[in-house]
Amino acid sequence: MTRFFDSDIFYAFRTSPVAIVSALVTAILVLSAVFAPLIAPTNPFDPASLNLMNGFTRPMEPNAFTGETFLLGTDDQGRDVFSTILYGLRISLFVGVSAVLFAMVLGIFLGLLSGYVGGWTETIIMRAADVQLTFPSILVAMLIFGVAKGVTPVEYRDQMAIWVLILAIGLSDWVQFARVVRGATLVEKSKDYVAAARLIGRSPLRIMLRHILPNVLSPVLVIATISLALAIIAEATLSFLGVGAPATQPSLGTLIRIGQGFLFSGEWWILFFPACTLLALALAVNLLGDWLRDALNPRLR
Amino acid sequence: MHRLSTALALVLALPATAEEFNFAVTTDPQTMDPHAVNSTPVLGFLNNVYEGLVRRGKDMSIEPSLAVSWEPIGEGEGWRFKLREGVTFQDGAAFNADDVVFSYERAASEQADTSSWFAPVSEVIKVDDYTVDIMTTAPNPIFPDSIANWMMMDSGWAEANGAARPDKDQGNYATLNANGTGPFQVVSRQPDLETVLEPHAGWWGEVEHNLTRVTMTPIQNPATALAALLSGDVDFINPVPIQDVARLEGNPEVRVIQGIEARVIMLGFDQQEGSAESGQGGADMFLDPRAREAVAKAINVPAILQTIMRGNAEVASQMVSPAMRGFSEANAAPYVYDAEAARSLAEEAGLAGQTIAFKCPNDRYLNDEAVCQAVTSMLAQAGMDVSLDAMPVSNYWPELRADNFDMYLLGWSPGTFDAEHPIRFLAATQDDEAKLGSWNFGGYSNARVDELLPMIQSEIDDTARQAMLDETAKILQDEVAYVPLYVQPLVWGARSGVELTQRPDDFFILRWVTVN
Amino acid sequence: MLSFIVKRVGQSVLVLLITGLVAFSMFTFVGDPIDNMLGQERTIEDVERLREQLGLDKPFVVQYYRFLEQAVQGNFGVSYRQGRPVAEILLERAPATLELAAVSGIFAILMGIALGVFTAIRRNGFAANLIMSASLIGVSLPTFLIGILLIYLFSVELGWLPSFGRGDTVDLGGWTTGFLTASGLKALILPSITLGLYQMTLIMRLVRSEMLEVLRQDYIRFAKARGLSDRVINFRHALKNTMVPVITVIGLQLGSIIAFAIITETVFQWPGVGLLFINAIQFVDIPVMAAYLMLISVMFVAINLLVDILYAFIDPRLRVAA
Repeated sequence: MTRFFDSDIFYAFRTSPVAIVSALVTAILVLSAVFAPLIAPTNPFDPASLNLMNGFTRPMEPNAFTGETFLLGTDDQGRDVFSTILYGLRISLFVGVSAVLFAMVLGIFLGLLSGYVGGWTETIIMRAADVQLTFPSILVAMLIFGVAKGVTPVEYRDQMAIWVLILAIGLSDWVQFARVVRGATLVEKSKDYVAAARLIGRSPLRIMLRHILPNVLSPVLVIATISLALAIIAEATLSFLGVGAPATQPSLGTLIRIGQGFLFSGEWWILFFPACTLLALALAVNLLGDWLRDALNPRLR
Repeated sequence: MHRLSTALALVLALPATAEEFNFAVTTDPQTMDPHAVNSTPVLGFLNNVYEGLVRRGKDMSIEPSLAVSWEPIGEGEGWRFKLREGVTFQDGAAFNADDVVFSYERAASEQADTSSWFAPVSEVIKVDDYTVDIMTTAPNPIFPDSIANWMMMDSGWAEANGAARPDKDQGNYATLNANGTGPFQVVSRQPDLETVLEPHAGWWGEVEHNLTRVTMTPIQNPATALAALLSGDVDFINPVPIQDVARLEGNPEVRVIQGIEARVIMLGFDQQEGSAESGQGGADMFLDPRAREAVAKAINVPAILQTIMRGNAEVASQMVSPAMRGFSEANAAPYVYDAEAARSLAEEAGLAGQTIAFKCPNDRYLNDEAVCQAVTSMLAQAGMDVSLDAMPVSNYWPELRADNFDMYLLGWSPGTFDAEHPIRFLAATQDDEAKLGSWNFGGYSNARVDELLPMIQSEIDDTARQAMLDETAKILQDEVAYVPLYVQPLVWGARSGVELTQRPDDFFILRWVTVN
Repeated sequence: MLSFIVKRVGQSVLVLLITGLVAFSMFTFVGDPIDNMLGQERTIEDVERLREQLGLDKPFVVQYYRFLEQAVQGNFGVSYRQGRPVAEILLERAPATLELAAVSGIFAILMGIALGVFTAIRRNGFAANLIMSASLIGVSLPTFLIGILLIYLFSVELGWLPSFGRGDTVDLGGWTTGFLTASGLKALILPSITLGLYQMTLIMRLVRSEMLEVLRQDYIRFAKARGLSDRVINFRHALKNTMVPVITVIGLQLGSIIAFAIITETVFQWPGVGLLFINAIQFVDIPVMAAYLMLISVMFVAINLLVDILYAFIDPRLRVAA
């Protein structure tokens, strides 16, 4: 731990106000998502708790029929926007983080494999990456959605959408990781220490994991951070196109899709607050990724 | 394509004159062929270009069009139509009885989508050039009412262009081109992009409109369409998103035209044994009428209309709206919201502990997904566990056909504007041979209803007919075959200065439009 | 060298075939076209008959084989929705998308390079930092939302620019262009910004970091020491050297501009191939979806192939590795 606080990275962090602010914003958002059930005044995912007559209540103003007041107003279903954002943030973050982890693990594995083994393995993996790139991710999502619908029993349909999103976004993201890792592996492989490790009879798997992987971690970390922001946006876009989280358990993207229908009618808060939350989250993560890239690239400092 | 000249003309022209009229629709008509697809976007648009023997007036009543008069033959063997003389098609050819016979053969052919209109017809006979007899297999009092959208096509034009029959698969000349007798003719057509109409100089009727050129642009995104209306890029949009009505009303440059559509939105149930999707003992949950009644009582329709529909719709009591012929005044009371009664009914019927698979379209009816969400939470408040699955309509109908539901949302607009229509399609026992119950996805079946339907269809006496319609409506209401929710509103938006007439069938009739 | 190219082309064809197969297997899940082709009063028999007529009752592999058979003869079938040959529709729609992509591309490149150079030179200046942060807002909001907000601001509130479509177009022998009319040019502004914003940010950040890298090099320091003016150093030497990676990225981004156009075209009702594709999904117009996906695949695979072959020319070692 002390080693970390003494490190260059921490020094760079401490001296960069942008990094501190964006880390703080990210932390606040992540914590409020994790503890949403404790913070949120209502549970928007419980249909039995909603009162339709609360619909379209303005922020901080009592509802004309029920007299209830909501911090950030309510949406068309009478859901408290503040609570819904917290719960939606939870879904968006969960989807984003899981999708990136999934893409990262898959990408690193395939990248190492193709870079180290080469030959036909490499050809197949890299051509698979080409196929992947040709498919717009919305189509991948639709495909997986359709298949999943056919095989999921009705009780699990509600949760299905989230796993489909993770799979769809993850699948369209792994290529970047694979390409970077493969490139770095090709470079590392030709170096003397790898040849030495091979000579003393270390297994290829061990060489890959112990010797090559640590050397490609910093670009992977940068890609992962930027991918996280992209994944959160992608989730929103997919939900906008109607293949995302269901309206009964909305993510931030679904909330924005619902809210944009009320932009012209004057119920601005249904769109505005979820959009701001999404912007804050994506911006903070992007800034963090940006800073990380500069910090990990010593020549730029 | 004469786009170069058109475009240059537009560039050189002075600011567009008021008589040039632009309007936006959500769905482009799939075809210009009046017999190929029986849908509101197609028939509504083509009513400006083609004409039938009869047409509907501003109040939906049947009035003469290409026929000047008609009368029953004998004891209900058929109908004799006297045709209007001196009518010409837009290409200059004359209209006569041969075109009627041809249009019957074309519209009733297997390749046509309108063939079901002619199920009661046995033969169409040309008596002379301006007299046609349409013979029916049984007395059919509402036949003239049912053919307002049967449009006349020129036999010579269709045959010369290889379009004697509609072609849904490959398309043909009539898919992209039109030649009717109507007040407007299609001068250019780019599917999904733009369709341009100009007045037909040789039209037989008296011109009420003052339009010189009409452009229709499909815009799918409702927000974009609204922006186009507000910024003056288009003069008319249909529909206006319901939530934006209030804002438009406060804007002096535009106005909102509201009405009630013929379409009733309702809930349907799986009532066939052992076919529901969850398949874990809960399969037959809606076989019990008490379960359906529980749903009917759990839904607070006025609250849905108040918030989601913003006071723009009316509660429905039966499968047709009060504006339709044959509406049952005797059964005009809707189900009453009573959450407590619903809760105990649901318990009695054994709904507790089961998950109801509720299917819903999200791009078919006004605010359909939001309504389904509200229904879901209302049922949850009455102790029912609902899993809502909303999807685009292209996935929706296959899902219903595959019986993958316990409960679903359906909207029905009777093509004949008569209460018999939904009975035939939604309440009659499914029978492919007799073409009955083809939209009765839930498999509702009642012997008395099946017995009443043919009697209703051939009864000439209005009072006797209404009595049978009342009896049917009562059975359906008592057994909760469907839960009617509300009559869908019609909300059109126009620039101020545009005068128009709104009809409950959602057809936008250009000959009634004037621009000041 | 020749054998490398032959091998690489062979692989690309294989990629295309697999892409097509995957595409066809998913059409079944997009929905059923029949309901859109028949009206309210259709019977179950009508549904079955039409399904058979369209060959939809066959397994997807058979459907795919039929499609390929026709496609190699240059026939992409007839659109279910429009009843016209798909090739004709695609050709008609292509100019709209290509013009939009070109304008957004040029916007992204010019603005991206200009802002990138500026932020690199004024590395710690207030304006540069502001631009850097503001550019991140552009990539932190979904494209569709940016489009809707632009429409709201510039069309509805201010009334300066049209809210949808291409405006008036002029037909130049089959190519409809919006460049020759005032309304056509005005209509291009909002969609181009929406579509190009992401690429602009990308290029700006790339130019900035490459510039910073180059400015650190010894020869720039020497140039400075020799007393060359900042302007000459920045533009004659530094910028020139950043261009190679920038051009590579721009080339790769070209394809994704066209793929991303789907969303922009939907929001702005822009009559291009992206909107055509979205409509095709809604109506399950399988011939159009198949042709569009094939077109996009060919484009991406061709770009990849070209890049690989170019690299092989530049760097002979890669030839052996491949």
